Amino acid sequence: MSNSFIIGQYVPGDSFIHRLDPRTKIAIIFTFVIVVFLANSVASYGLLTAFSIGSALLTRIKLSYIAKGLTPVWFLIVFTFILHLIVTKDGEVLFQIASYPIYSGAIIQGAAISLRFFLLILVTSLLTLTTTPIEITDAIETLLGPLKKIKFPVHELALMMSISLRFIPTLMQETEKISKAQASRGVDFKTGPIRDRVQAVVPLLVPLFVSAFKRAEELAMAMEARGYQGGEGRTKLRELKIEGRDLFVISLFLLIIIGLVMTRA
Amino acid sequence: MDISFKNVSYIYQPNTPFEHRALQNLSFDIKSGSYVAIVGHTGSGKSTLLQHLNGLLRPTDGQVQIGNFTLSPDEKLKNVMDLRKKVGVVFQYPEHQLFEETVAKDIGFGPKNFGEAEQEINKRLYEVIEAVQLPESLLERSPFDLSGGQMRRVAIAGVLAMAPEVLVLDEPTAGLDPRGQKDMMDMFYQLHKQKGLTTILVTHSMEDALRYADHVIILNKGTKYMEGTPLDVFTRKQELNEVQLDIPEIIEFLNKVEKRFAINLSYQGQSLAEVAQQVVEKLKGKNYE
Ligand SMILES: Nc1ncnc2c1ncn2[C@@H]1O[C@H](COP(=O)(O)OP(=O)(O)OP(=O)(O)O)[C@@H](O)[C@H]1O
Ligand SMILES: [Mg+2]
Repeated sequence: MSNSFIIGQYVPGDSFIHRLDPRTKIAIIFTFVIVVFLANSVASYGLLTAFSIGSALLTRIKLSYIAKGLTPVWFLIVFTFILHLIVTKDGEVLFQIASYPIYSGAIIQGAAISLRFFLLILVTSLLTLTTTPIEITDAIETLLGPLKKIKFPVHELALMMSISLRFIPTLMQETEKISKAQASRGVDFKTGPIRDRVQAVVPLLVPLFVSAFKRAEELAMAMEARGYQGGEGRTKLRELKIEGRDLFVISLFLLIIIGLVMTRA
Repeated sequence: MDISFKNVSYIYQPNTPFEHRALQNLSFDIKSGSYVAIVGHTGSGKSTLLQHLNGLLRPTDGQVQIGNFTLSPDEKLKNVMDLRKKVGVVFQYPEHQLFEETVAKDIGFGPKNFGEAEQEINKRLYEVIEAVQLPESLLERSPFDLSGGQMRRVAIAGVLAMAPEVLVLDEPTAGLDPRGQKDMMDMFYQLHKQKGLTTILVTHSMEDALRYADHVIILNKGTKYMEGTPLDVFTRKQELNEVQLDIPEIIEFLNKVEKRFAINLSYQGQSLAEVAQQVVEKLKGKNYE
């Protein structure tokens, strides 16, 4: 886990955003993903940017940490921008790079799309940064609750999600441990021809699979031993509760949407 | 190979909210051919320290010297494979590293990576399975069909087959049966003497540290808390208790007997039976009502 890729990573904390009900956060982010596409003027983009950066600040997680964690995404954002410069041919020619004409429309559209992309990634990563995987699955389970009526296995789905999320860090640790053990036995994961490096993965993957299956078996046995059975009639240890701050945030977000609609060009 | 740590610090995930300082300003020397025990409460940085010994980790600060190899913060070691060939590491729960189809192949995996000839590997194979007390009949079995204790032995044999000069052991006997633990530790000690290895053992067992090591380093929260010969270190009960460590039972026992009967006994590596004998001798001359 030495890399700084933060998507899916939870950072413990006690900020305003951390304490929001996970359902509030999911609902807002879901809506945000849709309304981002409404923005089409400087003012509307400004409003969305202010909302996103403001939320990021409120998490009290260091912005530099968030920015660094999005490194792989920066690449995509820049790539999108460059792609637009090349293919879009709207507006007038501003200047030429190596006799290739760059249009004003290309810059504007490229910037708008890149910004949209950035905001989407930023806001969604704020969800996982401030919400434990367990809270997220609990929230999804309640939000999808109505689907139970049409026999959709909501509880099982949520259980599967929370188990997978729970074991991601474990698997990462295991990967690191085994790759260190094999490196000590002379496996070279980092240099050499591609063919050798692909082969070097075998001593890593086999033990990983073996331990993952063993873990799954143990977990299943432990659940059975403790009398686990599906969703019907099951009570919860953690009850989700909508509080004043959730209502406040939801109203604020509705205002922002209204503002967005009004500032559209 | 001589090993020395000079003001070594190691930080996990620096510049993130998860930043964790696992080693802090650690300095010590290990002479070639010595047997060093590293002891410390859980989380004190023992495994982190060990991973510097074969270049899996580079210090965030300071310098590590292993023979002619130098690990420093800003320079990658070029011949790291040569270092790993000379320093064999048995990790905590090494059985997790097994992957080959047969026990023989898995044991031969390390030496093969380091370019040993087929013949040499075969020769070592029979040496190491004898050392770890595995029957030859297991050689063609899948390592995944073995018992936990047997898997551990295979994994350890796989490291021994690399014929390292420095043997690094991270709690190698945790989870084995008591008899197996003793056999295994005796085997390591014998190899240490026979091949003139430099052995570094991480252990939670004060008894093992006392019995085998000629030098003990006590870690506490990533710093060196104490260092010296086992006798030096294990007579300082108070200080050890402060970092959740105990002194070996036999020394504790001697202390209590000395106090109770006001006699003088000192620990010189004697076994429990010998201690009992000594106590009897000393008490003979005294009168108790
Ligand atoms: N990959 C990692 N990322 C972040 N922190 C880590 C990592 N590995 C270890 N640590 C932390 O560094 C500290 C020292 O860990 P280390 O594994 O060296 O302890 P240890 O002395 O070997 O403990 P034990 O006796 O339990 O094996 C611990 O607090 C641990 O949480
Ligand atoms: Mg450890």
